[in-house]
Amino acid sequence: MKVSAVRQALLLIALALVPAIGEAIYFRNKVSWQAPIPASELVTVAQAQSWGDNVIWVDARPSEEFDRDHIPGAISLNEDRWNELLPQFLGQWSPERKVVVYCSAQSCNASREVAKRLRDEAQLKNVFVLDGGWEGWLKNKR
Amino acid sequence: MSMNFLRLIGIVALTALTQGARAELKWEQTSVDLQPALGDKQAVAHFKYENVGKTPVHFTSVHASCGCTTAQTQNEQVAPGEKGEITATFNIGGRTGTQVKTVTVQTDDPDPAHSTIVLTLKAVITPLLEIQPALVYWQNGEEPKPKIITAKANKAAAIKKLDVASSTPDFTAKVDAGSAPNEFKISVQPRDTAKAAYATLSIKPDSPVNTGNMFAVAARVMPPAPTAATTSTPATKSTLSTIRRDLATPAATAASPSQ
Repeated sequence: MKVSAVRQALLLIALALVPAIGEAIYFRNKVSWQAPIPASELVTVAQAQSWGDNVIWVDARPSEEFDRDHIPGAISLNEDRWNELLPQFLGQWSPERKVVVYCSAQSCNASREVAKRLRDEAQLKNVFVLDGGWEGWLKNKR
Repeated sequence: MSMNFLRLIGIVALTALTQGARAELKWEQTSVDLQPALGDKQAVAHFKYENVGKTPVHFTSVHASCGCTTAQTQNEQVAPGEKGEITATFNIGGRTGTQVKTVTVQTDDPDPAHSTIVLTLKAVITPLLEIQPALVYWQNGEEPKPKIITAKANKAAAIKKLDVASSTPDFTAKVDAGSAPNEFKISVQPRDTAKAAYATLSIKPDSPVNTGNMFAVAARVMPPAPTAATTSTPATKSTLSTIRRDLATPAATAASPSQ
Protein backbone atom coordinates (compact mmCIF):
# COMPACT_ATOMS: atom_id res chain seq x y z
CA MET A 1 0.00 0.00 0.00
CA LYS A 2 2.78 2.39 1.07
CA VAL A 3 4.96 1.47 -1.95
CA SER A 4 2.02 2.01 -4.26
CA ALA A 5 1.38 5.50 -2.83
CA VAL A 6 5.03 6.47 -3.30
CA ARG A 7 4.96 5.15 -6.86
CA GLN A 8 1.81 7.16 -7.62
CA ALA A 9 3.36 10.29 -6.12
CA LEU A 10 6.49 9.86 -8.23
CA LEU A 11 4.38 9.32 -11.34
CA LEU A 12 2.41 12.52 -10.62
CA ILE A 13 5.66 14.48 -10.15
CA ALA A 14 6.97 13.10 -13.45
CA LEU A 15 3.72 14.09 -15.17
CA ALA A 16 3.93 17.58 -13.72
CA LEU A 17 7.51 17.94 -14.94
CA VAL A 18 6.51 17.45 -18.59
CA PRO A 19 4.46 20.72 -18.92
CA ALA A 20 6.90 22.51 -16.58
CA ILE A 21 9.87 21.74 -18.84
CA GLY A 22 7.79 22.64 -21.90
CA GLU A 23 6.85 25.98 -20.33
CA ALA A 24 10.46 26.70 -19.35
CA ILE A 25 11.54 26.17 -22.97
CA TYR A 26 8.61 28.07 -24.48
CA PHE A 27 8.96 31.05 -22.12
CA ARG A 28 12.76 31.12 -22.07
CA ASN A 29 12.76 34.57 -23.71
CA LYS A 30 10.09 35.93 -21.42
CA VAL A 31 12.11 36.25 -18.28
CA SER A 32 11.70 39.39 -16.22
CA TRP A 33 14.00 42.16 -17.37
CA GLN A 34 13.44 44.23 -14.29
CA ALA A 35 15.78 43.52 -11.44
CA PRO A 36 14.55 45.25 -8.29
CA ILE A 37 16.07 48.67 -7.63
CA PRO A 38 18.63 48.45 -4.80
CA ALA A 39 17.29 50.01 -1.62
CA SER A 40 20.26 52.41 -1.54
CA GLU A 41 19.06 53.97 -4.81
CA LEU A 42 15.43 54.42 -3.72
CA VAL A 43 14.11 57.32 -1.70
CA THR A 44 10.68 57.88 -0.27
CA VAL A 45 8.79 61.13 -0.86
CA ALA A 46 9.26 62.06 2.81
CA GLN A 47 13.02 61.49 2.65
CA ALA A 48 13.39 63.52 -0.54
CA GLN A 49 11.23 66.32 0.88
CA SER A 50 13.37 66.40 4.00
CA TRP A 51 16.34 67.36 1.80
CA GLY A 52 14.53 70.62 1.01
CA ASP A 53 16.27 72.81 -1.56
CA ASN A 54 19.12 70.35 -1.74
CA VAL A 55 17.18 68.27 -4.30
CA ILE A 56 16.92 68.50 -8.07
CA TRP A 57 13.71 66.77 -9.15
CA VAL A 58 13.93 65.07 -12.53
CA ASP A 59 10.73 64.14 -14.35
CA ALA A 60 11.34 61.10 -16.58
CA ARG A 61 7.78 60.97 -17.92
CA PRO A 62 6.94 61.90 -21.53
CA SER A 63 7.03 65.66 -22.17
CA GLU A 64 3.22 65.89 -22.56
CA GLU A 65 2.72 64.51 -19.07
CA PHE A 66 5.36 66.87 -17.69
CA ASP A 67 3.64 69.81 -19.40
CA ARG A 68 0.32 68.81 -17.82
CA ASP A 69 1.70 68.80 -14.29
CA HIS A 70 4.90 68.06 -12.43
CA ILE A 71 6.61 68.48 -9.07
CA PRO A 72 7.32 72.21 -8.61
CA GLY A 73 10.80 73.04 -9.88
CA ALA A 74 11.25 69.66 -11.61
CA ILE A 75 13.31 69.41 -14.79
CA SER A 76 12.03 67.31 -17.68
CA LEU A 77 14.46 64.60 -18.81
CA ASN A 78 13.06 61.65 -20.71
CA GLU A 79 14.55 59.14 -23.10
CA ASP A 80 12.28 60.24 -25.97
CA ARG A 81 14.26 63.49 -26.20
CA TRP A 82 17.41 62.46 -24.35
CA ASN A 83 19.98 64.18 -26.58
CA GLU A 84 18.06 67.43 -26.44
CA LEU A 85 17.11 67.47 -22.76
CA LEU A 86 20.26 66.08 -21.16
CA PRO A 87 22.43 69.18 -21.76
CA GLN A 88 19.60 71.38 -20.44
CA PHE A 89 19.49 69.34 -17.25
CA LEU A 90 23.27 69.34 -16.88
CA GLY A 91 23.20 73.12 -17.17
CA GLN A 92 21.14 73.26 -13.97
CA TRP A 93 22.82 70.43 -12.07
CA SER A 94 25.11 71.20 -9.19
CA PRO A 95 27.35 68.74 -7.33
CA GLU A 96 26.03 69.70 -3.90
CA ARG A 97 22.45 68.75 -4.71
CA LYS A 98 20.91 65.28 -4.79
CA VAL A 99 19.08 64.20 -7.93
CA VAL A 100 15.72 62.45 -7.49
CA VAL A 101 14.19 60.93 -10.62
CA TYR A 102 10.54 60.01 -10.85
CA CYS A 103 8.13 58.61 -13.42
CA SER A 104 4.46 57.85 -13.50
CA ALA A 105 4.10 54.89 -11.13
CA GLN A 106 5.92 52.48 -8.93
CA SER A 107 6.12 49.92 -11.72
CA CYS A 108 7.37 52.46 -14.26
CA ASN A 109 10.79 51.77 -15.62
CA ALA A 110 11.65 55.18 -17.06
CA SER A 111 12.96 56.68 -13.81
CA ARG A 112 15.40 53.86 -13.16
CA GLU A 113 16.64 54.03 -16.78
CA VAL A 114 17.17 57.80 -16.57
CA ALA A 115 18.86 57.47 -13.17
CA LYS A 116 21.17 54.76 -14.51
CA ARG A 117 22.11 56.85 -17.55
CA LEU A 118 22.84 59.87 -15.38
CA ARG A 119 25.18 57.74 -13.28
CA ASP A 120 26.81 55.99 -16.25
CA GLU A 121 26.90 58.59 -19.00
CA ALA A 122 27.16 61.84 -17.05
CA GLN A 123 28.99 60.14 -14.16
CA LEU A 124 26.85 61.91 -11.57
CA LYS A 125 26.74 60.79 -7.98
CA ASN A 126 23.81 61.00 -5.55
CA VAL A 127 21.17 60.03 -8.10
CA PHE A 128 18.07 58.39 -6.62
CA VAL A 129 14.76 56.97 -7.82
CA LEU A 130 11.57 58.16 -6.14
CA ASP A 131 9.70 55.26 -4.56
CA GLY A 132 6.08 55.41 -5.68
CA GLY A 133 6.83 57.90 -8.44
CA TRP A 134 4.56 60.76 -9.43
CA GLU A 135 1.48 59.10 -7.91
CA GLY A 136 3.36 58.63 -4.65
CA TRP A 137 4.23 62.31 -4.60
CA LEU A 138 0.61 63.31 -5.30
CA LYS A 139 -0.63 61.03 -2.53
CA ASN A 140 1.87 62.50 -0.09
CA LYS A 141 0.95 66.03 -1.07
CA ARG A 142 -2.70 65.57 -0.02
CA MET B 1 -2.14 0.74 -10.81
CA SER B 2 -5.67 1.35 -9.66
CA MET B 3 -8.51 2.20 -11.99
CA ASN B 4 -9.18 5.36 -10.00
CA PHE B 5 -5.71 6.67 -10.73
CA LEU B 6 -6.07 6.01 -14.48
CA ARG B 7 -9.42 7.82 -14.39
CA LEU B 8 -7.75 10.80 -12.72
CA ILE B 9 -5.11 10.99 -15.45
CA GLY B 10 -7.87 10.72 -18.07
CA ILE B 11 -9.79 13.62 -16.52
CA VAL B 12 -6.64 15.80 -16.39
CA ALA B 13 -5.84 15.03 -20.05
CA LEU B 14 -9.43 15.69 -21.15
CA THR B 15 -9.53 19.02 -19.29
CA ALA B 16 -6.30 20.09 -20.96
CA LEU B 17 -7.64 19.18 -24.40
CA THR B 18 -10.92 21.01 -23.77
CA GLN B 19 -9.04 24.13 -22.68
CA GLY B 20 -6.99 24.02 -25.90
CA ALA B 21 -10.07 23.75 -28.06
CA ARG B 22 -11.68 26.79 -26.41
CA ALA B 23 -8.85 29.10 -27.43
CA GLU B 24 -10.16 31.04 -30.41
CA LEU B 25 -7.48 33.62 -31.26
CA LYS B 26 -4.31 31.79 -32.16
CA TRP B 27 -1.13 33.90 -32.23
CA GLU B 28 1.73 33.09 -34.54
CA GLN B 29 4.06 34.55 -31.92
CA THR B 30 3.57 36.67 -28.84
CA SER B 31 7.20 37.77 -28.57
CA VAL B 32 9.21 39.50 -31.28
CA ASP B 33 12.93 40.28 -31.22
CA LEU B 34 14.02 43.24 -33.31
CA GLN B 35 17.44 44.55 -34.30
CA PRO B 36 16.87 48.09 -35.58
CA ALA B 37 19.53 49.35 -37.97
CA LEU B 38 21.89 52.11 -36.86
CA GLY B 39 20.17 55.46 -36.89
CA ASP B 40 16.64 53.99 -37.17
CA LYS B 41 14.01 56.12 -35.48
CA GLN B 42 11.43 53.36 -35.05
CA ALA B 43 11.20 49.59 -34.59
CA VAL B 44 8.04 47.88 -35.79
CA ALA B 45 6.79 44.47 -34.66
CA HIS B 46 3.97 42.51 -36.32
CA PHE B 47 2.01 40.11 -34.17
CA LYS B 48 -0.05 37.84 -36.42
CA TYR B 49 -3.16 36.01 -35.30
CA GLU B 50 -5.94 33.84 -36.63
CA ASN B 51 -9.39 33.21 -35.26
CA VAL B 52 -9.51 29.43 -35.12
CA GLY B 53 -12.79 29.37 -33.21
CA LYS B 54 -16.35 29.30 -34.43
CA THR B 55 -17.46 32.70 -33.14
CA PRO B 56 -16.18 36.24 -33.86
CA VAL B 57 -13.64 37.76 -31.46
CA HIS B 58 -13.69 41.47 -30.56
CA PHE B 59 -10.71 43.43 -29.31
CA THR B 60 -11.87 45.36 -26.26
CA SER B 61 -8.58 47.12 -25.50
CA VAL B 62 -5.03 47.33 -26.82
CA HIS B 63 -2.67 49.04 -24.42
CA ALA B 64 1.09 49.63 -24.70
CA SER B 65 3.29 49.60 -21.59
CA CYS B 66 4.97 52.89 -22.43
CA GLY B 67 4.13 56.15 -24.17
CA CYS B 68 6.96 55.42 -26.58
CA THR B 69 5.03 52.51 -28.12
CA THR B 70 1.83 52.60 -30.12
CA ALA B 71 -0.21 49.54 -31.10
CA GLN B 72 -2.80 49.22 -33.82
CA THR B 73 -5.24 46.48 -34.74
CA GLN B 74 -6.37 45.99 -38.34
CA ASN B 75 -9.99 45.36 -37.36
CA GLU B 76 -11.88 45.53 -34.13
CA GLN B 77 -13.67 42.29 -34.93
CA VAL B 78 -12.09 39.08 -36.17
CA ALA B 79 -14.45 36.68 -37.92
CA PRO B 80 -13.96 32.90 -37.64
CA GLY B 81 -11.10 31.82 -39.89
CA GLU B 82 -9.95 35.41 -40.39
CA LYS B 83 -6.28 36.33 -40.08
CA GLY B 84 -4.79 39.66 -39.09
CA GLU B 85 -2.09 41.35 -37.14
CA ILE B 86 -1.42 43.89 -34.43
CA THR B 87 1.32 46.33 -35.32
CA ALA B 88 3.40 47.70 -32.46
CA THR B 89 5.57 50.72 -33.27
CA PHE B 90 8.29 51.58 -30.82
CA ASN B 91 9.70 55.10 -31.13
CA ILE B 92 13.35 54.74 -30.22
CA GLY B 93 14.02 58.37 -29.31
CA GLY B 94 17.29 58.60 -27.39
CA ARG B 95 17.13 55.06 -26.01
CA THR B 96 19.98 52.60 -26.24
CA GLY B 97 20.61 49.00 -25.21
CA THR B 98 17.98 46.30 -24.74
CA GLN B 99 14.47 47.66 -24.62
CA VAL B 100 11.51 45.47 -23.74
CA LYS B 101 8.04 46.89 -24.33
CA THR B 102 4.74 45.10 -23.93
CA VAL B 103 1.31 45.49 -25.48
CA THR B 104 -1.62 44.12 -23.50
CA VAL B 105 -4.49 42.97 -25.69
CA GLN B 106 -7.91 42.23 -24.29
CA THR B 107 -10.66 40.42 -26.16
CA ASP B 108 -14.23 39.42 -25.37
CA ASP B 109 -13.22 35.74 -25.14
CA PRO B 110 -15.36 34.42 -22.26
CA ASP B 111 -12.45 32.31 -21.04
CA PRO B 112 -10.42 34.61 -18.74
CA ALA B 113 -7.29 32.56 -19.49
CA HIS B 114 -7.46 33.65 -23.13
CA SER B 115 -9.10 37.07 -22.95
CA THR B 116 -5.84 38.86 -22.05
CA ILE B 117 -2.72 38.41 -24.14
CA VAL B 118 0.57 40.16 -23.47
CA LEU B 119 2.65 40.76 -26.61
CA THR B 120 6.33 41.48 -26.07
CA LEU B 121 8.59 43.51 -28.28
CA LYS B 122 12.31 43.32 -27.57
CA ALA B 123 14.61 45.67 -29.42
CA VAL B 124 18.36 45.85 -29.09
CA ILE B 125 19.42 49.40 -29.96
CA THR B 126 23.01 49.91 -30.85
CA PRO B 127 24.13 53.49 -30.43
CA LEU B 128 25.98 55.26 -33.20
CA LEU B 129 28.25 56.86 -30.62
CA GLU B 130 28.93 56.15 -26.97
CA ILE B 131 30.00 59.36 -25.28
CA GLN B 132 31.47 59.61 -21.79
CA PRO B 133 31.23 61.66 -19.74
CA ALA B 134 28.26 63.71 -20.91
CA LEU B 135 29.38 66.54 -18.62
CA VAL B 136 32.76 68.14 -17.98
CA TYR B 137 32.98 70.87 -15.39
CA TRP B 138 35.46 73.06 -13.60
CA GLN B 139 35.09 74.53 -10.15
CA ASN B 140 35.19 78.28 -10.01
CA GLY B 141 38.81 79.41 -9.98
CA GLU B 142 40.15 75.95 -10.91
CA GLU B 143 43.04 75.90 -13.37
CA PRO B 144 41.44 75.92 -16.86
CA LYS B 145 43.15 72.73 -18.07
CA PRO B 146 41.51 70.75 -20.89
CA LYS B 147 39.24 67.86 -19.93
CA ILE B 148 38.64 64.86 -22.16
CA ILE B 149 35.36 63.39 -23.40
CA THR B 150 35.68 60.00 -25.12
CA ALA B 151 33.41 59.13 -28.04
CA LYS B 152 33.39 55.50 -29.16
CA ALA B 153 31.89 55.09 -32.60
CA ASN B 154 30.05 51.98 -33.70
CA LYS B 155 32.25 50.10 -36.15
CA ALA B 156 29.38 49.66 -38.62
CA ALA B 157 28.79 53.41 -38.69
CA ALA B 158 32.16 53.98 -40.39
CA ILE B 159 32.54 57.40 -38.79
CA LYS B 160 35.49 59.21 -40.31
CA LYS B 161 35.33 62.35 -38.21
CA LEU B 162 33.33 64.21 -35.61
CA ASP B 163 32.36 67.85 -35.83
CA VAL B 164 32.06 69.46 -32.40
CA ALA B 165 30.69 72.96 -31.91
CA SER B 166 30.33 74.89 -28.68
CA SER B 167 27.17 76.95 -28.18
CA THR B 168 29.17 79.77 -26.56
CA PRO B 169 32.71 81.12 -27.05
CA ASP B 170 33.42 80.38 -23.37
CA PHE B 171 34.68 76.91 -24.29
CA THR B 172 36.77 75.48 -27.08
CA ALA B 173 36.66 71.87 -28.27
CA LYS B 174 39.23 69.95 -30.26
CA VAL B 175 38.79 66.44 -31.68
CA ASP B 176 41.64 63.93 -31.97
CA ALA B 177 41.82 60.24 -32.77
CA GLY B 178 41.58 58.10 -29.65
CA SER B 179 43.86 55.30 -28.49
CA ALA B 180 41.62 52.58 -29.98
CA PRO B 181 40.15 52.21 -33.46
CA ASN B 182 36.81 54.05 -33.90
CA GLU B 183 37.53 56.17 -30.84
CA PHE B 184 37.73 59.94 -30.64
CA LYS B 185 39.00 62.19 -27.87
CA ILE B 186 37.24 65.52 -27.50
CA SER B 187 39.39 67.95 -25.57
CA VAL B 188 37.31 70.70 -23.95
CA GLN B 189 38.79 73.80 -22.36
CA PRO B 190 37.21 76.86 -20.77
CA ARG B 191 38.59 80.32 -21.62
CA ASP B 192 38.70 81.09 -17.93
CA THR B 193 37.19 79.81 -14.73
CA ALA B 194 36.77 83.08 -12.89
CA LYS B 195 33.06 83.28 -13.70
CA ALA B 196 30.29 80.74 -14.18
CA ALA B 197 29.82 79.56 -17.75
CA TYR B 198 27.81 76.93 -19.58
CA ALA B 199 27.89 75.57 -23.11
CA THR B 200 26.26 72.77 -25.03
CA LEU B 201 28.72 70.95 -27.21
CA SER B 202 26.95 69.61 -30.30
CA ILE B 203 28.60 66.53 -31.76
CA LYS B 204 27.85 65.62 -35.34
CA PRO B 205 29.26 62.34 -36.62
CA ASP B 206 30.24 62.26 -40.27
CA SER B 207 28.85 58.84 -41.17
CA PRO B 208 27.08 57.41 -44.23
CA VAL B 209 24.44 55.83 -41.94
CA ASN B 210 23.80 58.94 -39.88
CA THR B 211 20.50 60.52 -40.80
CA GLY B 212 21.00 63.83 -39.06
CA ASN B 213 21.48 62.43 -35.57
CA MET B 214 23.14 64.99 -33.31
CA PHE B 215 24.59 64.28 -29.92
CA ALA B 216 25.12 66.84 -27.20
CA VAL B 217 27.14 67.08 -24.03
CA ALA B 218 27.59 69.92 -21.57
CA ALA B 219 30.56 71.92 -20.33
CA ARG B 220 30.37 74.15 -17.28
CA VAL B 221 32.33 76.40 -15.03
CA MET B 222 30.47 76.17 -11.75
CA PRO B 223 29.37 79.32 -9.95
CA PRO B 224 31.45 80.33 -6.94
CA ALA B 225 30.67 78.24 -3.88
CA PRO B 226 28.15 80.08 -1.73
CA THR B 227 29.95 81.88 1.08
CA ALA B 228 28.63 82.12 4.59
CA ALA B 229 27.93 85.82 4.06
CA THR B 230 25.77 85.28 0.96
CA THR B 231 23.73 82.42 2.38
CA SER B 232 23.40 83.61 5.94
CA THR B 233 20.25 84.50 7.72
CA PRO B 234 20.08 87.84 9.58
CA ALA B 235 20.97 86.00 12.79
CA THR B 236 24.06 84.47 11.16
CA LYS B 237 25.11 87.85 9.75
CA SER B 238 24.99 89.24 13.23
CA THR B 239 27.16 86.36 14.47
CA LEU B 240 29.62 87.04 11.63
CA SER B 241 29.82 90.70 12.60
CA THR B 242 30.68 89.60 16.12
CA ILE B 243 33.40 87.31 14.78
CA ARG B 244 34.82 90.13 12.61
CA ARG B 245 34.88 92.45 15.64
CA ASP B 246 36.62 89.72 17.63
CA LEU B 247 39.20 89.33 14.85
CA ALA B 248 40.40 92.83 15.61
CA THR B 249 41.99 91.45 18.77
CA PRO B 250 45.30 89.53 18.30
CA ALA B 251 44.07 86.56 20.38
CA ALA B 252 41.02 86.07 18.19
CA THR B 253 43.10 86.34 15.02
CA ALA B 254 45.39 83.58 16.24
CA ALA B 255 42.43 81.37 17.11
CA SER B 256 40.75 81.78 13.71
CA PRO B 257 43.38 81.51 10.99
CA SER B 258 40.84 80.59 8.36
CA GLN B 259 38.92 83.82 8.81
